[in-house]
Amino acid sequence: MINALLILLGKSLIKFGNTLNIGSGSTWPGHIALKLNKNFIKQISSKNKNLKIVLIAGTNGKTTTSKLIKHILEKNSLKVFHNEAGANLLNGIASSFIKNSNLSGKLPYDVAIFEIDENTLPLILREINHYSILLLNLFRDQLDRYGEVNTIAKNWQQALKKVDKNTFLFLNGDDPQIYSLGQENDLKTYYFGISDKYMDQKEIPHDVDSVYCPNCSHKLNYSKMSYSHLGKFKCYNCGFKQEKVETFADQKINYPLFGKYNIYNTNAAILLTSKAFNIPTEKVIEFTEEFKPAFGRQEIVKYKGKNIIVLLSKNPTGFNQSIEATINYSKDEKPNALVVLNDRIPDGRDVSWIWDVDFNDLSLAKKIIISGDRTFDLAIRFKYALNDSFEQKTIIEEDLEKAINTAVSQTEENKTLFILPTYSAMLETRKILGGKKIL
Amino acid sequence: MKNLSLTIGWLYPDLMSTYGDRGNIIVLTKRCEDRGIKVNLEKISLEADKNKIKELDLIFMGGAQDKQQEIVNKDLIENKGSLLKRAIEDEIPSLFICGAYQFLGKYYKTAEGHKIPGLNIFPIYTENPGENVKRLIGNIIIEIRNSKLEIRNFVVGFENHGGRTYLLNGAEPFAQIAYGFGNNDKDKTEGVIYKNAIGTYLHGPILPKNPQIADFLIEKALFKKYGKKIELEKLDDSIEKKAREVVVKKYLSGYNQTK
Repeated sequence: MINALLILLGKSLIKFGNTLNIGSGSTWPGHIALKLNKNFIKQISSKNKNLKIVLIAGTNGKTTTSKLIKHILEKNSLKVFHNEAGANLLNGIASSFIKNSNLSGKLPYDVAIFEIDENTLPLILREINHYSILLLNLFRDQLDRYGEVNTIAKNWQQALKKVDKNTFLFLNGDDPQIYSLGQENDLKTYYFGISDKYMDQKEIPHDVDSVYCPNCSHKLNYSKMSYSHLGKFKCYNCGFKQEKVETFADQKINYPLFGKYNIYNTNAAILLTSKAFNIPTEKVIEFTEEFKPAFGRQEIVKYKGKNIIVLLSKNPTGFNQSIEATINYSKDEKPNALVVLNDRIPDGRDVSWIWDVDFNDLSLAKKIIISGDRTFDLAIRFKYALNDSFEQKTIIEEDLEKAINTAVSQTEENKTLFILPTYSAMLETRKILGGKKIL
Repeated sequence: MKNLSLTIGWLYPDLMSTYGDRGNIIVLTKRCEDRGIKVNLEKISLEADKNKIKELDLIFMGGAQDKQQEIVNKDLIENKGSLLKRAIEDEIPSLFICGAYQFLGKYYKTAEGHKIPGLNIFPIYTENPGENVKRLIGNIIIEIRNSKLEIRNFVVGFENHGGRTYLLNGAEPFAQIAYGFGNNDKDKTEGVIYKNAIGTYLHGPILPKNPQIADFLIEKALFKKYGKKIELEKLDDSIEKKAREVVVKKYLSGYNQTK
């Protein structure tokens, strides 16, 4: 009974919030519900035993992969809902339940897809009937907030031991730490990876954390690498190595998104939907090729006659991948790039990590515009990355709206401007490009 | 004076480099090269010959995550620690950040209460009060006025550590806290300076926004190698100044900005 009231209250809050345009109401209805009934998520979940819940966690790619999976399942005539990007703590999940249920707490859907924050995964596993878990990767990210990569992996390992044996588990087979999570449980486990032909990283880059064996701490040997610490690894000390990684190398796939990281995301989505939902692989691939990207995740926005592509870049590995995607986007066009660094809570207060990004690779861009709360931190970084071409190549503009206008006017008609922002900077950028003022 | 060169040693770059600390090496190298000083960078990790430490004019070591620190601690105690101690006692200028700073003390008491012996170079010790006590995390602003180095403006960075470090009798703090936690959140001290070696909790990384510290290390290294003071040519540090001002303005309102 109390849950019906909480749902009613929450739904009115969402409506109220939408009318007044004060945020999307994506976390606070759930926050209030959990305050008044801490078992809210558990109770709603057990009321909906037939709902298949897919949980997705990992440092990078959660939103894109969720959207891909949703797209594939909907194409296959299933009813699906998905928590809003960023609302990936317990309160976000509770809000998503409130938004999509009727007053009796019934969720009239076949599938729920939840992106889950790294530290929230062990908590949520105790609360809901999980059907399928997808773990994408673990990179260095906001150490001030998430803590260290090894600690997260250890907590996941503990949590997975208590999971129902009928759960599907999908793991990145090229990430040693994620791969090793499949060793100590007997869930229905599958590994995804990418074809050898995309593995062109020559040496271990600077931003890696997990190149030591998860079992014996000996340095791993890689025969091929795709990016960061992902690749074909083997430990010569204890024999730890990959087996049964599905790469879809023998399939012809027109990947709908660019960048190596998106081949991982796409292969993860294909493997999950075909195995856990029993859809033939050929059909899944066909659906996948029709996928359209989201804002901040490769959507092309037309703005004042220019093409703008926003690539959310919130940690060293993500940034390096965005830079690679920017530079390789077109053979005959040197793009302009606007890089925006904020240091608010969703971005992480510590900006040290920009020194782990290989910004010198962006020197092939035509102009680089620098902005955000920490404009000058970023400017110092570029001063050292670009050396002699720093003065001539960069424009420093603290005010984001002015920076966007400058970047757009520096870009020729029908040419492309890449914007590489941290999380809160991406939200601001979206508001500016959409013409809506920030409240 | 022509044909100046320095050998800079970067200890465990693959293991002790979690918080963007390679920025410190990038800055040291470039600020030498901009003044025509040739840099020979030696990366010294697990497999390296420990005798390379004897050839270094300047030493740097960054912070890391727990697992990596364990691996490094073992190698230091069993292998390279004694030569590192000799170099520091011999006044080789050096910079140790966070976990590296803690290693050089008398001991580190873990969250579980295990005492891990350090290299016993710095007159300090560190204790982690347990996993339920908050880590010290946030922007940090310090004032540097010690017997070796005085900087007139505020020095800014970011700290993130569970351990609390205490100075033993006779130890000289590197700096005083203007904002943030520092060594232990009690005595307002930050870091330690011992001979020409600096231990500090400042990430950020420390040197890009605070290039005076980089120049201090370079000057000391040149003095040690060539036996006389060599004036360093001034460089344009106006962006660095602005980056510091943004932090100071945000966290120390009321202070004199021009300080």
